[in-house]
Amino acid sequence: MLARVLEAHGIATTSISLVREHTEKIKPPRALFVPFPFGHALGRPNDAALQHRVLTAALDLLAAPAGPVLADFPEDAEPGDETPGPVQASAVQAAAAAAGDAVAETKDVLRAHARWLAVHGGRTTFGLSGIAAERFPDVVGFLQRFAETGEGDVAGRAADVSLPAFVRWAADDLKSLYYESRVLSQPAATGAEIARWFWGETAAGHVLRRVRDRLDASEDPRWKAAAFGVAR
Amino acid sequence: MPRLDRLPEASRKGLLALPVQVNDTTPFVRPARPLAAARLALVTTAGLHLRSDRRFGPGEQTFRAIPSDTPAAEILQSHTSIGFDRTAILRDLNVTFPIDRVRELVARGVLGGLVREAYSFMGALREVAKLESESGPEVARRLRDAGADVALLTPT
Repeated sequence: MLARVLEAHGIATTSISLVREHTEKIKPPRALFVPFPFGHALGRPNDAALQHRVLTAALDLLAAPAGPVLADFPEDAEPGDETPGPVQASAVQAAAAAAGDAVAETKDVLRAHARWLAVHGGRTTFGLSGIAAERFPDVVGFLQRFAETGEGDVAGRAADVSLPAFVRWAADDLKSLYYESRVLSQPAATGAEIARWFWGETAAGHVLRRVRDRLDASEDPRWKAAAFGVAR
Repeated sequence: MPRLDRLPEASRKGLLALPVQVNDTTPFVRPARPLAAARLALVTTAGLHLRSDRRFGPGEQTFRAIPSDTPAAEILQSHTSIGFDRTAILRDLNVTFPIDRVRELVARGVLGGLVREAYSFMGALREVAKLESESGPEVARRLRDAGADVALLTPT
């Protein structure tokens, strides 16, 4: 519906749609439905040729004389072997070894993540919590205490970030460290495989399951919302 | 996909249960120039922003400006729903925000140019009244001021 607002104010728009059923109702001026999973709007990461085909197909809609236009991107192949929906923690059985030392594990992951940063010119999805990566062993210690007691804090938490929001972003940052390190060591791994590894085999995944349970046990809707974003 | 018939049942039902705006008509303007002469703006609902900028909170109907020459290392995504696979954007920003691909089209002469700022909104919004009455029109005004002829909108 953002496209409709921009168009109503004089900007010709074209959009990529991931849910055809919704786009049919909203009726943006021009939309290209793509048969890709959420998170893959342009197709596949690091596949410039496919991304260009999607982009060109979306831009071609700007030549239409009238709208709404809802076109289907013709390539029906799944990108890689990705599953349609992301793998959630509840779908993964945690190995017994996953109850190990999460702080020590995080220290190892940080060493691997330093290599990720070097290889990718500093690009990382880490950084939402506002806490530096080298302090994440302490953050994991906090998350463990939080899971047990529902209390605790981390020095340096921004004053305008509530505790449940901070927990959510600390969990996102922890996932970023692990996922990026895993992609570096297993570059061909699919998103589903990485999620199964994280939730099934890592101590950090075990901690986040418990953090989720602690948040979800609260009556406070902000805590429950944070739980929904940490693990399902 | 997600072609809905291929999604897990819980995801499919969840999506179909979402309140979706139902419109009968569509605003429509023809681009003022052919693509080879047009200036394009990137607009995304992926919750992207500069690393130095304020994070999006859930449901926030505001926007963030991202200068079009921002290095990928300086862009963060605070829309982190576990309803989508984040391993795609961690491998390549372009899978959601095709800034390099658009620059390549400009270099090839397929597009006339890229406006100086991209704009980003939060994803998965349930309430959109302020987006429709305030933040959306404000971005449209900024895009017109920047000389944008067309905008490409990308989700995550």
